[in-house]
Amino acid sequence: MQGLKPIVSTESPALVFGTTTKLASDLPATDSFLGKNQVPDLQKLFQKADGLPVHLKRGVPDKLLYRTTMALTIGGTIYCLVALYMASQPRSQK
Amino acid sequence: MAHQAHSYHMVDPSPWPIFGAAAALLTTSGLIMWFHYNTSTLLMAGLLSMLLVMLQWWRDVIRESTFQGHHTPTVQKGLRYGMILFITSEVFFFLGFFWAFFHSSLAPTPELGGQWPPTGINPLNPLDVPLLNTAILLASGVTVTWAHHSITEGNRKQAIHALTLTIALGLYFTALQAMEYHETSFSIADSIYGSTFFVATGFHGLHVIIGSSFLTVCLLRLIKFHFTSNHHFGFEAAAWYWHFVDIVWLFLYMSMYWWGS
Repeated sequence: MQGLKPIVSTESPALVFGTTTKLASDLPATDSFLGKNQVPDLQKLFQKADGLPVHLKRGVPDKLLYRTTMALTIGGTIYCLVALYMASQPRSQK
Repeated sequence: MAHQAHSYHMVDPSPWPIFGAAAALLTTSGLIMWFHYNTSTLLMAGLLSMLLVMLQWWRDVIRESTFQGHHTPTVQKGLRYGMILFITSEVFFFLGFFWAFFHSSLAPTPELGGQWPPTGINPLNPLDVPLLNTAILLASGVTVTWAHHSITEGNRKQAIHALTLTIALGLYFTALQAMEYHETSFSIADSIYGSTFFVATGFHGLHVIIGSSFLTVCLLRLIKFHFTSNHHFGFEAAAWYWHFVDIVWLFLYMSMYWWGS
């Protein structure tokens, strides 16, 4: 692949894509400052060949968030159409 | 994964564009319901769904780039063009409000007392808090550049410090502006002076908040090791946006605060 080299760290050798240069975390004495580097593990997770689209790749939390968003937008759109229909009626109430 | 013979990114099917469009529908019709019927349910649904869509869409972009490696140099070039075009469109957005300001202030009507500032308007002293705000944003431009250099040099700790300082300065600006808004003797309803002043500075303040949020996301990603020393376009985009916000303020300060007083 043009311009892409494997990650310098050897923890995850079988990945298709990699970063183009050394990771900032490869530098010494910074690993323990504010957490450790979980990017290689996440790269493995998101490159699993399970056929899932990227927005559902993490499983359950992704599905929950997706369904909540869908409920809100689709429900809201129906409510919106009802409200606009009512607002477009001549003022015959009360 | 299938192997493609080009360096572009063919994205997975995604629900966010259509949900985003629906969120825009709910927000705009929600505004109408709020203005004319005094109910805010639809508006709240719109703003909430907008927030959820933005979070998930941009989360997916991070997944596609940092975790899946889809952002080749070709893709990154496209993103650079995109961000430049977006910022350019925002420049035109502000240009309109500056046009309105100069239209009214260069030839003040008799209704305003034939002068600018109009009769009865006590403008803010430009050498007071507005000058401090100018210094704050200029300093934040320096700190964000410092953060960028730290990233390219691979110094994560220093980059975190510099970016945190940038965000802190942005929040300080917002807090001071909010205080200033509270302190003005004039409101948005006070003639065309109030309209031009509060609409222009108000939209600018909104952009400061957006820019600060963008920088905060970058800070979180920086802490989580997402950026490498020569691939950190998300940060560069945030820094470009921040410089744009700074420059708009400089024009606002020179025209409305200084010349306009």
